[in-house]
Amino acid sequence: MKDHLIAHLVAATHEVFETMAGTTLRSCPPIEPSAFAPMANVVATVGFAGGISGLVTLYSGFAAARAITGAMLGMEAAEVNGEMPDAMGEMANMIAGLFRSKLVAEGLPCDISIPTVTVGSDFSTRYGSEVTRVLCPFEMGNEEIFVGLALTGN
Amino acid sequence: MHLLVVDDSSTMRRIIINTLKKLGHNEIIEASNGREAIDRLAKDRVDLVITDWNMPEMSGIEFVRSVRTSRSREQLPILMVTTNAAHDDIVAAVEAGVNNYVVKPFTPETMREKIQAVTAGVEGGA
Ligand SMILES: [Mg+2]
Repeated sequence: MKDHLIAHLVAATHEVFETMAGTTLRSCPPIEPSAFAPMANVVATVGFAGGISGLVTLYSGFAAARAITGAMLGMEAAEVNGEMPDAMGEMANMIAGLFRSKLVAEGLPCDISIPTVTVGSDFSTRYGSEVTRVLCPFEMGNEEIFVGLALTGN
Repeated sequence: MHLLVVDDSSTMRRIIINTLKKLGHNEIIEASNGREAIDRLAKDRVDLVITDWNMPEMSGIEFVRSVRTSRSREQLPILMVTTNAAHDDIVAAVEAGVNNYVVKPFTPETMREKIQAVTAGVEGGA
């Protein structure tokens, strides 16, 4: 995975969390996902396709997802109920959108998809073998979240 | 001033509406895609449209093009709020008939400035 793509993804994630959720994240070194699959209850994915194609995925546990949703909507995490999947989809949408803007500025035109969100406690995400992946971990208070990038056929 | 907020994300509609209320706007209706927004425009008074771009059913760009085909809505102020921030995106939005543009993620201050810019001269504009 090219380092500047990871840097773009990390920068996009920081900006979206700070602006839309008033939350400063601490980023940790990227992980090779072949050695590690994140434990996540909420997986929000946005695809991008064009001069470069792949997926941007936001992974979090239930507690972190409720905290993020509450911060976005100006409510207590404990009050968050049905709002959470849509809110996490919109966070993924904004991260992917900012990431895409940086790609377009580098001469890699692409468009992003509408977000899809999976919520549960017993599932895993798999990709085809032709995918290059990286996972960027972030600490949000005591919680850990991940933003993943998968590139297809580039 | 009567506002129509169009976004497929209920979260983003709520964030935008929370921001608008803080800015003193209270007459706000919502739609979750372009097709619904066209229905609302036909039934309700709207002085300013705030619309997303990426939506299922009918995108923001298709919606804006459709609004501009109506002679009576040629001057209706339309603000687009979107993650699509590339130069070519903004050109495409303006060509479709968008008056101004807010890139997500946005601050309340940016929203206030852009609303002011597109509603200058509109009756009841904040
Ligand atoms: Mg949208």
